[in-house]
Amino acid sequence: MSAARYGMVIDLDRCTGCGSCMVACASENNIPALPQATARTGLTPMLVRRVSNSKQGSERREAFFPIMCMHCEHETPCVKVCPQQAVEVDKATGVVMQMPQRCLGCRYCMTACPYHARYFNWWDPSWPAGMEKSLNPGVSSRMRGVVEKCNLCHARLHSAMEKAAAGKREIDAADYIPACVEACPTGAIQFGNLADANDPVTKESKSPESFRLLARLGTEPKVYYKSKEAWVRALAEPNAAPASEVQHG
Amino acid sequence: MKFSRRDLLMWGAGAAAGLMVTPVPWKILDDTSKWSQNWPWIPQAARVPVEFKQSACTLCPNGCGLRVRMAAGWPVGVAGANTHPISRGALCPLAFGAHQLNWHPKRLRAVSRRGIASSWNEAQGAFAKARGEGPIVVIDGYPGRAASSLLESFAAKQGGSYRVVNGPEVQALEPYEQWTGVPASSLGYDLENTQTILSFGAPLLDGWGMPGRFTRLWAERAAGITDPQLRLIQVDSSLSRTASRAWQWISIREGSESALASGLARAFVEQKLVPAHGPIPAMTLAEAAGQTGLQAQEIADLARTLIERTPAVVIARENNPAVAALNIVLGSVGTRGGIVRRSQSKQGHVSAEDAIQSARAVLIDASVPWDFTPKVDAEVFRFAAWDGGPTKADWLLPAPGFLEELTDVPSAPTASVETYGIAQKLAKPSAEVQSAAQFLARLDSSLDSLEKIIQTRCQQLFRKGAGTLHAREQSPVAQLASAEELEEQLRNGAVWVGEPSRADGLRAELKLWPDAGPSTRSADWASDWAAPVLPPLASKLYIESALRQVPERRNA
Amino acid sequence: MRRGLLIFAFGMAASLFAGWYVFPRVLYVKKAQPLDFLHKTHAENSGVADCSECHTVRDDGTFAGLPTMEKCASCHSDRNGESKAETILVNDYIKPGHETPWLVYSRQPANVWFSHAIHVKRAKLSCSKCHSTYGESDQIRLYEVNRISGYSRDIWGHSILRLGRAPHEGMKMTDCEGCHRTHNVEVGCLGCHQ
Repeated sequence: MSAARYGMVIDLDRCTGCGSCMVACASENNIPALPQATARTGLTPMLVRRVSNSKQGSERREAFFPIMCMHCEHETPCVKVCPQQAVEVDKATGVVMQMPQRCLGCRYCMTACPYHARYFNWWDPSWPAGMEKSLNPGVSSRMRGVVEKCNLCHARLHSAMEKAAAGKREIDAADYIPACVEACPTGAIQFGNLADANDPVTKESKSPESFRLLARLGTEPKVYYKSKEAWVRALAEPNAAPASEVQHG
Repeated sequence: MKFSRRDLLMWGAGAAAGLMVTPVPWKILDDTSKWSQNWPWIPQAARVPVEFKQSACTLCPNGCGLRVRMAAGWPVGVAGANTHPISRGALCPLAFGAHQLNWHPKRLRAVSRRGIASSWNEAQGAFAKARGEGPIVVIDGYPGRAASSLLESFAAKQGGSYRVVNGPEVQALEPYEQWTGVPASSLGYDLENTQTILSFGAPLLDGWGMPGRFTRLWAERAAGITDPQLRLIQVDSSLSRTASRAWQWISIREGSESALASGLARAFVEQKLVPAHGPIPAMTLAEAAGQTGLQAQEIADLARTLIERTPAVVIARENNPAVAALNIVLGSVGTRGGIVRRSQSKQGHVSAEDAIQSARAVLIDASVPWDFTPKVDAEVFRFAAWDGGPTKADWLLPAPGFLEELTDVPSAPTASVETYGIAQKLAKPSAEVQSAAQFLARLDSSLDSLEKIIQTRCQQLFRKGAGTLHAREQSPVAQLASAEELEEQLRNGAVWVGEPSRADGLRAELKLWPDAGPSTRSADWASDWAAPVLPPLASKLYIESALRQVPERRNA
Repeated sequence: MRRGLLIFAFGMAASLFAGWYVFPRVLYVKKAQPLDFLHKTHAENSGVADCSECHTVRDDGTFAGLPTMEKCASCHSDRNGESKAETILVNDYIKPGHETPWLVYSRQPANVWFSHAIHVKRAKLSCSKCHSTYGESDQIRLYEVNRISGYSRDIWGHSILRLGRAPHEGMKMTDCEGCHRTHNVEVGCLGCHQ
C-alpha cells in the first residue's frame, strides 16, 4: 500500500452550522457529555465555530467553520514539543496520531497547536448507569489528565484495513469514511487522499476558492476550506476579525 | 550478642543492595505502569463484533432512515441510511446521539400516579374503570402509524374521540384545508421541482421537514453557486442559519410576516405580475412597507424576483393564512413545484387544540409533546419514555424509548410523494414499558394487534402493485413475489415510495384575503424534537461550545 | 567489621531469596478455567480439522476470538459424552444461555488493536507462531494472572527473566516491536493502538 495523505476540503458555503458533525464525532470516539463541562473545559475534537463579517443589521453575514486537527505535515508543532513522543505523524497515512496512553498531560501541545484543536481530559469519563452498553467498540476510553484530539476516526481505518486484508486487496475508499464526513447533511466535509492526484478532494484543494487557515505559518495543514465569499477567505489569517469566542485553555 | 541498631542498618543495606539485583523493583515498576493505565472504574467498550442494521428514527414524524451500528445486541452508533430515497443518508444533529437516550437519567422506568409509585395493573384498572364511566379522548402526536390506527379504532368503538397534535409544518398547510377541501395531512411541497422558494421563517436548512431532503437538494443546486438553479429567499427577523446560507435574506420586523405577504400580493396584482384572480388584500404597499420596515420598492422588487424563475412556492413557518394565500396568488397550488396532493386520502383529523366537550379520561400517546395540556377536566393517562418535568397528568406511564419497539413509518408531513417503512426494534427495553397502543390492545382484545395492522398494510401495498421499494437496489412493487417479501424487505430497512403526485386535481378557492395571521414565533432549534429530553451528546452543541443557544425545552 | 559484613551478607541473601524465589511464586495467582476444554479431543474425535473452524477470521476481517457459546451449542446442545467438562458446559452455560467466562491467556489492554486478519491473511503467519501448538494440547493449560497488572502470565512469559520463552509466551509491546523490526514492517502508533 503506497503512502496516503488523508485530508479534507470543507465547503463553507455548504456548512449550515447544524452541529451534526460534532455529535457524530463525540459518539464515534466514546466521548462523554459530562454535566460539569463548559465551553472552556469541554472535549470537542470537532468544534464548529461561528464567524461573521462584523457588520450589523441586514448587512451582517455569518458562516461556520468546522475546526478539528489539521493534521499538519511540516514541522508539526505538537509533535515537535511533546516530551513524551505521544504524538507523531504516521508515514503511511499522514495522520497526526495522538496517543493518550503515552501522554503525561503537560499540555505543551495545546499551547503549540495554532488551531486550538487539542483538548484536555479534565475528568475521568463516566456515563449514567447502563449507558456504557452504547459505547463504540474499537475505540478505547481515555482517562483524565491526558490530551485528546481528532485522529481521523482511526477505528474506521482499522476496520477498513481488516476488511482489505480479509479480501486480499487494497483499502476501499468507501470503507473508510470518518464520522463527521458521514454525518454532514449537506456534504460540506469531503474526505480523501491528497497523495492521489485523481482524488476529487485533491482537485478541490487546488481550486482558487480553497484556502487553509494560518497557511503562512508553514505547518502545511491537510484540512482545506473552500468558499466563494471573499470575506470568509479573508478570515484565514489573524487580524482579519476579532476573536469572538472563548478559547480552550 | 545483641542485635544493635547498626546491625539493623547493615542488614537493611544488604537487603536493599540485594533487591536491586532481583526482578522485584523492575517487575513491579512495569506491572504498576500497566495497572495505572487501566483503572477499573473507566468503562471500556467490550471487544465484540459490530454489525449494521437499518431502521427508522421515530423521534419526530419524519422518520429518517437509520443505519445503526450494533454491538452485542445494543445500538452503539447511529448514521443515516443512504438508501432512503428522501433523507438520503442525512439526519438532524440530535439523531447521532439518540442511541444513548434510553439510559438518560430522566428515563421513565415505573408507573406513577401523581408522584407515587404504582403499577401497570393499577393503571389498567383505573383506565378500564374510566372507560366504563364516560367518553375517552385519545391524543396522538404522530398520526398515520399502525399504532395510530389502533388508537383511533379504540376511541371510535368506545364512543370517545381521537385527536391529533400536529407539528408546525403540518399546521402551515392547514389554511389550504379550507381552500381546497383536502386535509393538510394529505398535502406536501414539490420542492424537487421548484426553482424559487420564499420561506417565511421556516428553518429549511436547520431541521424543517426531513432534514436530508432539503439540505441535500439545496447543497446540489444552490450552495456556493452564484446563480443557482434553486433560489432560496429567507424572510427572518434575525440572521438565522437558513437566512445566512440563503440566496437572499429579507430582514423584516419581528411579527410582520402577514404584512409582507399582503404587500407582496398587492405588488403582484398592481404590477400585473400574475394573472389577476382572487381577492386582493386591503393593505397597501406603503402600509406593508411601514409594518415590515422595508421600502415599498423592496417589496415590489421581491415580487418581481419571485416570478423570475418559476415554479415558485411560499413556505410558512406555521399556520399563517396570509402567507399561505400567497401561493394561490402565485398559482402554486396544485401545480408542479408548488403545493401538491401527496395522498388521495380524504381523511382529516380533528386537532387536539380544538375544544373537547367532555371527557372522563384523556389518554396521551408518547409522541405528543410534553408540554401539551388537554383543555378539559379529566383524568389524564400520559405515556412517555422520558420525564419532561412538572406535569398535570394523573398517571405517568413508561413507554418504549428509542428503537425499543416495532413500529411503522408513514409518509413524512411535507413530502410530495407517499412513503412507507417499518422501524424494526433494535434495543431491548431497559424498563418495563408499554406503548399506548399495546395498553389499549390489552384492554380490548377485539382490536387488531400492531403486527397484524402492519401486515395488512403491506398486503394492501402489494395488491395495489404501485410504487418502488428502495433498498440497495430499487425494485418496482409489481415485480415482487409476495406481500411477505415486501414486508420482510421493509423490516430490513427498505422504503416504499409511491408514484410521484400528479400536479392536477388540486384546486384552491380563495374568497376573501385572510386576516393578519399570528406573528411567527422565532423557533427554538430543538422545539420540534419529540422527546422532552435531548440526547446527552447534544450538549456539546450548546454547553461545551458556543455553536447553539441553550434550547428552552431542554430538561437536564 | 566482619560482623557487619556478615549481617550485610545475610540481608542480601534474604533479599535475593525473597526476590528470586518467593516473589515469582507470590506474584501470580492460579485461576481455574470454567471447564477443562481439550483441543485434542475436538481435533481428533470431532472432525474439527483447522484452528479457523472455531477461531475464524470473518469476511469483514474481524476475528471471532474465542468462539461464543452459540458455536459450542452447534454440537453440544446436549451432552454427547460423559465428561465432567461437558456436563458443566451444557448445564451451566448452554442451557441457561450464558457465555462461558473463559480466562484469556493473551488478553491485551483495551487500547491495543491487533488484527488477526492482517497477520494471518496478509502476513500469512501460522497460528502456532504466536500461540504454540494449543490445537494439539490434551490438557487445559494453567491460567496464572499477575496480581498487580491483572494480565495473564503469558504476556510477560513464565520466566521472570524472560528467558526461554515458548511461542505462546511474550506478548508485550516490545515483543511485537521486535518481530516488526525483524521483518521490516513499519507501523505508526495507531497501527496497533486504538
